[in-house]
Amino acid sequence: MHEQTSDLVVGLLVLLLGLVGLVMASGALDDAMYVFGLSLLGFAVVFDLGLVKRYFDRIDAAKAGSHV
Amino acid sequence: MSDAVMGAAMPAARPVSRAAVTYNMDVVRKFTIAAMFWAVVAFLVGVVIAAQLAFPIMNLGLEWTAFGRLRPVHTSAAIFAFGGSALFATSFYIVQRTCHARLFGGEALHNFIFWGYQFFIVMAALSYVMGFSQGQEYAEPEWHLDIFLTIIWVAYGVAFIGTLFLRQEPHIYVANWFFMAFIITVAVLHLGNNVALPASFFEAKSYSVYSGVQNALVQWWYGHNAVGFFLTAAFLGMMYYFIPKQAGRPVYSYRLSVVHFWSLIFMYIWAGPHHLHYTALPDWAQTLGMVFSIILWMPSWGGMINGLMTLSGAWDKLRTDPGLRFSVTAVGFYGMSTFEGPMMSIKEVNGLAHYTDWVVGHVHSGALGWVAFISFGAIYYLVPILWKRAGLYSNRLVAWHYWIATLGIVLYITSMWVAGIMQGLMWRAYDKLGFLQYSFAESVNAMHPYYVIRMLGGVMFLLGALMMVFNLIMTVRSASTAVQPARETAVAGA
Repeated sequence: MHEQTSDLVVGLLVLLLGLVGLVMASGALDDAMYVFGLSLLGFAVVFDLGLVKRYFDRIDAAKAGSHV
Repeated sequence: MSDAVMGAAMPAARPVSRAAVTYNMDVVRKFTIAAMFWAVVAFLVGVVIAAQLAFPIMNLGLEWTAFGRLRPVHTSAAIFAFGGSALFATSFYIVQRTCHARLFGGEALHNFIFWGYQFFIVMAALSYVMGFSQGQEYAEPEWHLDIFLTIIWVAYGVAFIGTLFLRQEPHIYVANWFFMAFIITVAVLHLGNNVALPASFFEAKSYSVYSGVQNALVQWWYGHNAVGFFLTAAFLGMMYYFIPKQAGRPVYSYRLSVVHFWSLIFMYIWAGPHHLHYTALPDWAQTLGMVFSIILWMPSWGGMINGLMTLSGAWDKLRTDPGLRFSVTAVGFYGMSTFEGPMMSIKEVNGLAHYTDWVVGHVHSGALGWVAFISFGAIYYLVPILWKRAGLYSNRLVAWHYWIATLGIVLYITSMWVAGIMQGLMWRAYDKLGFLQYSFAESVNAMHPYYVIRMLGGVMFLLGALMMVFNLIMTVRSASTAVQPARETAVAGA
């Protein structure tokens, strides 16, 4: 699969998971759900930021003429 | 970052013209590190809960550190975190090498599988410590974690099976069949056993759709096949790749490996009811589970013989390659566990063994002797290749690890055999007036020395794992293992 397609599909999936986590945390009725919801949101944010970083890393590497 | 590595032919694969393939070994490296991290965690928590059973004061009087909450942390860390990470690492390595194709799905998908799985493990462990559990053995995570794991598992299946479709080899090597059975069956088991109605979308509490004996049957259909497909079939995939590689010999009988595969996956799925002997489950179902368990002897030992006979003509390597010693001893433990399990499923034997520590000893001869040892053997083989090192930092340390871990297992399982049989005999002993001869508390008291011996066995196994971690870190970092320029060509073709 092309790297950019993979980035897009997985990035959107993780974004959706992060939103679900936020909703779960917002209405949580117990500690486990609150911790899980917030952690899922954090996971999604960090993961998608990592995708953005790797995207620009690839562009920089291409500009530098090196192979990733 | 990816590696450009030339593929190597598997022993049974038909030679074809090859083009250079850029494998994704980054995800394999990540899962290998995770496997070693979780191994230490699993063994450490195991030692703690073993100490709690011998010395109850070790519960510390806190609900978070009580045995009931730490026990699923130990089992999940051992099976799903350590075993699972080792399986992800080796299956991703093997499928790429034997298919001569890059892992399907792009780096984003592979990273999602890795980080998502680690996230699931941490969240599950945290929920157990906080007191949230479905109360079903090996299926403790509540509904929201089950759904999250399903997403990760589907992504894993897409990456693995997608790679098979991309293969440049005409043949699917037998190890990949075992991994496919593992991926598909674990998905079916996980979905089937966890059908539950959440109390609320915002609450970590659900109710299973199954109740009473139906719940018990579905739970042990799941539980036994988690052993069969997670802890057996998948690790057999590991065996069928790494033992031939380590021994430098082809699989003894490829035909036997295919017979082993189909007979094992057909029979294992029926054996679960043997966990429910002498319960409300209909007697015919109990007997069915027992019969299929006994029939399982044959494919299990066929696989064991195939693994051991692969060393024909290469037995001398056991003297010089302690990593191979781990793999071969693992196959021996596999044979022993798959003899003991069916024997314990025989109703008359089960009447003595059930609910005793004999079961705990049996499980650990499989988990430590088979699962952990075959993983250690594979990881000792993989690390120098993955990090492009000339070899392991210290073979002597591997040998120390081997002997201390083996001795630890021997202490563990022999103490549990004695403890378990003693428990069973004490519970069924009657005096001449027909009263129970021993109270339950007396049987608990009698267990104390064996629980201490078991704990010492666990400590030895943990020490061995710490030696391994040190050895692997030094393998990656030490200047003594750096590949010399003249040797790089040889390693690239390994």
